[in-house]
Amino acid sequence: MLKRMTRLVSGARQLDPGRFLHGEPQAPQSLAAHLDNQVPDESPRATSCTSEDDPARHGEQHEGRHYRIPLQDLRTVFPHGLPPRFGMQVRTFNEACLMVRKPALELLRYLKNTNFAHPAVRYVLYGETGTGKTLSLCHVIHFCAKQDWLILHIPDAHLWVKNCRGLLQSAYNKLRFDQPVEASSWLKDFQTANERFLSQIKVQEKYVWNKRESTEKGRPLGEVVEQGLTRVKNATDAVGIVLKELKRQSGSGAFRLLVAVDGVNALWGRTTLRREEKSLMAPEELALVHGLRKMVRNDWHGGAIVLTLSQTGSLFKPRKAYLPQELLGKEGFDALDPFIPILVSNYSPEEFESCVQYYLENSWLQHEKAQTEEGKKELLFLSNANPGQLERLCAYL
Amino acid sequence: MAAPAVKAARGRSVLALGLRRAVPRLPGLSQVRWSRYGPEYRDPQIDKEYYRKTLAELTEEEKYEQELRKTQLIKAAPAAKTSSVFEDPVISKFTNMMMKGGNRVLARSLMTQTLEAVKRKQFEKYHAAAAEEQATIERNPYTIFHQALKNCEPVIGLMPILRGGHFYQVPVPLPDRRRRFLAMKWMITECREKKHRRMLMPEKLSHELLEAFHNQGPVIKKKHDMHKMAEANRALAHYRWW
Repeated sequence: MLKRMTRLVSGARQLDPGRFLHGEPQAPQSLAAHLDNQVPDESPRATSCTSEDDPARHGEQHEGRHYRIPLQDLRTVFPHGLPPRFGMQVRTFNEACLMVRKPALELLRYLKNTNFAHPAVRYVLYGETGTGKTLSLCHVIHFCAKQDWLILHIPDAHLWVKNCRGLLQSAYNKLRFDQPVEASSWLKDFQTANERFLSQIKVQEKYVWNKRESTEKGRPLGEVVEQGLTRVKNATDAVGIVLKELKRQSGSGAFRLLVAVDGVNALWGRTTLRREEKSLMAPEELALVHGLRKMVRNDWHGGAIVLTLSQTGSLFKPRKAYLPQELLGKEGFDALDPFIPILVSNYSPEEFESCVQYYLENSWLQHEKAQTEEGKKELLFLSNANPGQLERLCAYL
Repeated sequence: MAAPAVKAARGRSVLALGLRRAVPRLPGLSQVRWSRYGPEYRDPQIDKEYYRKTLAELTEEEKYEQELRKTQLIKAAPAAKTSSVFEDPVISKFTNMMMKGGNRVLARSLMTQTLEAVKRKQFEKYHAAAAEEQATIERNPYTIFHQALKNCEPVIGLMPILRGGHFYQVPVPLPDRRRRFLAMKWMITECREKKHRRMLMPEKLSHELLEAFHNQGPVIKKKHDMHKMAEANRALAHYRWW
């Protein structure tokens, strides 16, 4: 099955639609990129940062270098915020710099060469804790936002299966449960991220909310979202409708859909939510999880699905588990099969150097010994080139 | 062979210690803190550079030193002491004083979170300040920590001395280690007691350290109070006989 997927992708690459899809970059920008390749600047800032801010033009030559995301883009592309520690770093440095790494470049290459007539391909980013799966996902989302795709981003699926208050029985299906708080906050973020699409996409069915309110056929999708935000009780149903409509209309070619879920193993794991009778709920009894499971199936075309596995927020999974089989379980693996697995590993020596250089340039490493060779060797030893550990170490040095 | 020698050493250590200390720390009171090691025990060599030198590089004295260490008894290195380049004895001592119930892991993590909080606050101030002020803002959490504790050290202390059935608070010069201890003790007590129930230790401690760095705040006030009391009781200074 994996061979069939790779043949699909390589087949698309032979036609080489990537170059033609996004067009040749304009002359001055390509000249800048050309100069960037040709004359590697020896100044310290250039070795760890690159001036290429457009993810579409990131290539092998930018590997290991940091690129800056403009702060106003952050508010529209990542309205829910970034992972907490990265968010703190952004606030401290007043800039958001992501490192361009191999897994992200691989994913970008695949996305540039997607054939939108074929069913959506599922890419799963997996790896040990702290290796950079979530930030690679953020890189890909930034690329798709720049390319004007419709982004369906669930920042952490684990938040939907634990610590939820105010569970209601679903009006649509008596056996399922609604989560008004989570659904309404997600709708708010979805609205901020995709404002321009909400007026263009029209609903293809009439939806009756209650005796007095209903959404007619042909109304913009924005109305459904507004309904979900104003009437919090209907928020989960609004989310379900949004997912259904987007799936139905993604094939029409009016927009390209990216489904990005972080911590997708939550959908097939266990929950810690209880019913009134104090018995544990299964994830399929939650309407949000049910809708998302349908979204992640590859029975639609006109986009791509990028998923991340995460042990950090997961429930009842051993700490050292990171492989797809271990985290997803049999049910999840069978549901996601076939997918393209992309391993995200620790920093290579060049990437480590670049990261330490970036911290030194921003004067983040204040300890006098941290700037010496001995200090760098010790940092490498203590963190084992794990990006998350390195960040935590450098925070107090 | 080693065991009876060690036992004999330990047996000797009690007497040796009693004989050694000519000047007691407190008048009329005996030593409280014993060491299980006798005087013949040497301190462990933690320094990595010492062991990296090859035979050719050593001088005569160092060769003699190395040979001697092979026959000498050496104390065990404490678990908290590392050969890391980032190690700081002051931070280590402070962490030990913050520790409760032997939970050094928790104390160390609180300490690192405090240093991180201090750094982030200073970076925020740096970015908000104008170009001329940026040079004056100190962003190194270690210098801030050391300077803050130095600012909190009292110069003179008070000691209760019994005269004629009454205890008088007599101003007394403090040795260095007592001053450092008092500064750290005041800082930790202040942060533990005078904070809101829900406020976390790193947040409070970082705030107090920054205030002490600028010679403000409750710990500096406590130091000044101590100085004022000593100044007020200076008539009693002749009660001190050492």
